[in-house]
Amino acid sequence: MPQNKKSFSRIKILNRVVVFALAVILVRLFFIQIIEHDAWVAKADEKHTLLEEIPARRGEIYMMDQGEPTPVVLNQTVYQIIIDPAVTEKTAIFDALSSYAKDYITADLEKIYGTEGLRYAIVAKNVPREIAEKIAEEGIGAVWFQKTNRRVYPEGEMASGLLGFVNLDGVGQYGVEGSLNELLSGKNGLLKTTSDINNVALSIGNDNIKIPAEDGKDVVLSIDRGLEKGTEEIMAEHLNSSVATNASVIIMKPQTGEVIAMSSLPNYDPGNYAYVEDASIYLNYTTDVPYEPASICKTFAFSAALEEGAMTPWTTYFNEHYTVVDDWKIWNAETRSSLYGTIDMRTALYWSLNTGSIQALRLLGGNPNSITQQGREKLYDYYYNKFRLGRPTGIEISEATGFIPDPNEGWGRDSTYANMTFGQNLSLTMIQTATAFSAVVNGGYWRTPSVVKYVTSAGDGDGRGPQNVLRSKNFGEGESPAGPAESKILSDETSATMREMLIHNRDYKARYGIDRSGYDIGGKSGTAQVVKNGAYDDTMSELVGGYAGFIAPTGALPEYVILTKMWGEGQAVGSGDAMSLFDDLSNFVINYTKLKPGV
Amino acid sequence: MALGLVVIYALSPLRANVLNNAYGGNYDPNYFFLGQLRSVVLSLIVFFLAFKVIPIKTVQKFAKPLLIVALSLSVLLWILAKSGSSLAKCELGECRWFNLGGFSFQPAEILKIAIVIYLADFFTRKKKEGAIGDLKEFWLPLLFISGLSLLLVVVAQGDLGTGVALVAIVFGMLLISGVPMKQYLIFLVATVVVAVGLVATSAHRMKRVDAWIATLTGSESSDSTYHIDNAMLAIGTGGFTGVGIGNSVQATGYLPESINDSVFAVMGETFGFVGLFVIIFIFGAMLTHMLKVAEHTEDSENRLLVVGVFSWTLAQVVVNIAAMTGLVPVTGITLPLLSYGGTSMLFISFAIGLVLQLSCYTSREGTKHEDTSSRRRVGGPHHTRGRRSS
Repeated sequence: MPQNKKSFSRIKILNRVVVFALAVILVRLFFIQIIEHDAWVAKADEKHTLLEEIPARRGEIYMMDQGEPTPVVLNQTVYQIIIDPAVTEKTAIFDALSSYAKDYITADLEKIYGTEGLRYAIVAKNVPREIAEKIAEEGIGAVWFQKTNRRVYPEGEMASGLLGFVNLDGVGQYGVEGSLNELLSGKNGLLKTTSDINNVALSIGNDNIKIPAEDGKDVVLSIDRGLEKGTEEIMAEHLNSSVATNASVIIMKPQTGEVIAMSSLPNYDPGNYAYVEDASIYLNYTTDVPYEPASICKTFAFSAALEEGAMTPWTTYFNEHYTVVDDWKIWNAETRSSLYGTIDMRTALYWSLNTGSIQALRLLGGNPNSITQQGREKLYDYYYNKFRLGRPTGIEISEATGFIPDPNEGWGRDSTYANMTFGQNLSLTMIQTATAFSAVVNGGYWRTPSVVKYVTSAGDGDGRGPQNVLRSKNFGEGESPAGPAESKILSDETSATMREMLIHNRDYKARYGIDRSGYDIGGKSGTAQVVKNGAYDDTMSELVGGYAGFIAPTGALPEYVILTKMWGEGQAVGSGDAMSLFDDLSNFVINYTKLKPGV
Repeated sequence: MALGLVVIYALSPLRANVLNNAYGGNYDPNYFFLGQLRSVVLSLIVFFLAFKVIPIKTVQKFAKPLLIVALSLSVLLWILAKSGSSLAKCELGECRWFNLGGFSFQPAEILKIAIVIYLADFFTRKKKEGAIGDLKEFWLPLLFISGLSLLLVVVAQGDLGTGVALVAIVFGMLLISGVPMKQYLIFLVATVVVAVGLVATSAHRMKRVDAWIATLTGSESSDSTYHIDNAMLAIGTGGFTGVGIGNSVQATGYLPESINDSVFAVMGETFGFVGLFVIIFIFGAMLTHMLKVAEHTEDSENRLLVVGVFSWTLAQVVVNIAAMTGLVPVTGITLPLLSYGGTSMLFISFAIGLVLQLSCYTSREGTKHEDTSSRRRVGGPHHTRGRRSS
């Protein structure tokens, strides 16, 4: 059959087609799978490998509340809601968002659905878990929930200057958040893995690397939450009734160095830190900004002269309302005629006479008529080495250094040192001042101030470690930590004498019933002139008021030291404002801590 | 088929996962495996029916009605799709399936087998009438039937893959129909010219060709080269022995249609060159065996039918694999017996069953006293092949 033969030979053609086609394919496969294999694997790795940071949990911050830690800075898991406009049903997502997450919508849905070819859009941010769950329950197609962490400050603006905030990159700024950022943030881990198209890690592949994240530590502050809150309320009241625009307060325990309240007003909301007019509001004025504490420093000059045996409270000198140093006339603020003539040092301190503190410096130098090198060196030794003024205290949070002039260098050394006796011509931080004042009244012990009670790892049990675990702060060049946590710098007698004089300073407060009976309350005011155009402004148009004081049950050692400072740009804020703030605070502290009166 | 089942079993959870993630679906991890298992069981039943139960003559008797039914179904689908009925199931803008409540059915698949059976009948009748090569009696009806089928499949359903298979069936069967070689070549050239023209005038098809050229020349990958890029990436990473079952990364969502049209690429990643070589060898053995059956089939209509099934299988295998390896543009065609997809597997199983039935006749039509031995000789490879492929 020729016809059949023809079709048989044509079947052979088909046979060749099969062999040819399959051979070509096999050659092609050999080429792709064997020869180009490495190149394809490299390409696949590039595409499939997911390098992902495993975020470490940031430590939380606690304050004390009736002896128990209570959180003041927390982490909250929040969600970003992402949709695929090509798949997600518009009315469904619109209804779900507007009925559950109205406050969190960040995008205009109409606009999103009007954009052609859009496959990815973030429609809501910072959505709390329970709301995200409700929306997830709606089961709308192509809706993703991306977990993020948000820092939450349940106390709102309270203690913002102390706490600081965390910026958009997750880095702590200012205050505790900034100072202890490394400790709080922990160490991010790393995940290198093969992933699917949605960047979800797969268990496929054997070169997966995982470095676990080290979570940040929780920080428990020695700050008492209730005390802090009450202090800020009282500060706010005083700012309202004063020309001052700013106020700062430190309340500490002179027996331990623990700071139990630390506040600067005005505050800001650390959760919305960007909404401030001036970035200076972020500063912690109690540690970050040096100032001149003015006459509060007379307590340090008098302590030095007492300790050196150069004077007693009853040592006398002739007060002319002014004294001349380096051809400069230095006047007293108080010039009432009854003070003219021979007065004792206790009276000079009571009336805060500059001539009195300058007399103490002269006595330190061994010459009641003039300031000597020995006097300057001794004052420097007490200020810098013993009271550790003008150098970092070693508190756990960031602090400025301040400055104490050298006793033997520079021009006008005598007048500079004369000024230093009443707290001008030097710059100190409030924490330095409060710590030194504590040493004056607590029996003569300088103790490193501390704002952190202890540090603990989450899940580490109670984890109460030694109190001073954080003394590894990095100090800048020329700065040195204040040294041992405790050193005896004044004798018991000197301290007792100073306490007596400081209590005497407030004798009228007790008479007027401001200081209650059963308590020994002493203090010293300070009004600082400010430097304008390189010189002290003698017009007194702008003044900074301050007050340092202590509270003790009668006959006992002081339990609390309070340092206040009030100021405002271009405002003459006298020490009267700062003192009246101290008056209210001292009563509040007694009430709040239920301090038992002495007998 | 068993191989396909294993791969689909490994891929099923991944596929379900991808769909669940991307579209908020709620597929069970074993959804696709169970679907494939159901298809395989049904296909085996159909295969057995075609092989042992339904006589080939009965099938051939229904050549014309079968074609009419097949064409009518396609027309019906087109009407339903146009009228927006939910009975027509559409994906990515192409309406290729009937939706029959829980299970879907692709009429293009029935059209392929109907064309094979009808053309075998048609060519045989024309040969008996001596009308082969006659313009009015032969070419015009042929052109009408194939033209109409192509129109329904390619234009109405947008199914270029099935179109290619149909063209291959027509040319394969035509080749051995006894048509003069000159006429055959003219028809071939004319078809190529028309095809090129159609591709060049369609933006959608040109895009695929452009993508293919881009892949061949190694230009920057883009959205349109995405499918080929990822298929080749899967095959390339497979290397010599493959990454092993369940370890395919490309199938986790990078590769489109990972369990349907792209299953060959996933197998390449999973089993490597060795695995693909075996798969191609099996297909090669199956195809050459069909040709051997055709050669040994004395009955013209039966032989044409075998060649039709052969052409169909060859087209699907070659076009699918060549597309996955970047040799030809992607047309969207399944790999016979291995891809996920019920209708496709069902009908190709039926067709192969018929071929096997015919392979038994070849022995009977051989020398009578060698009956048993030749039966064993020819029958042996069938079973071996049958086991390999199913």
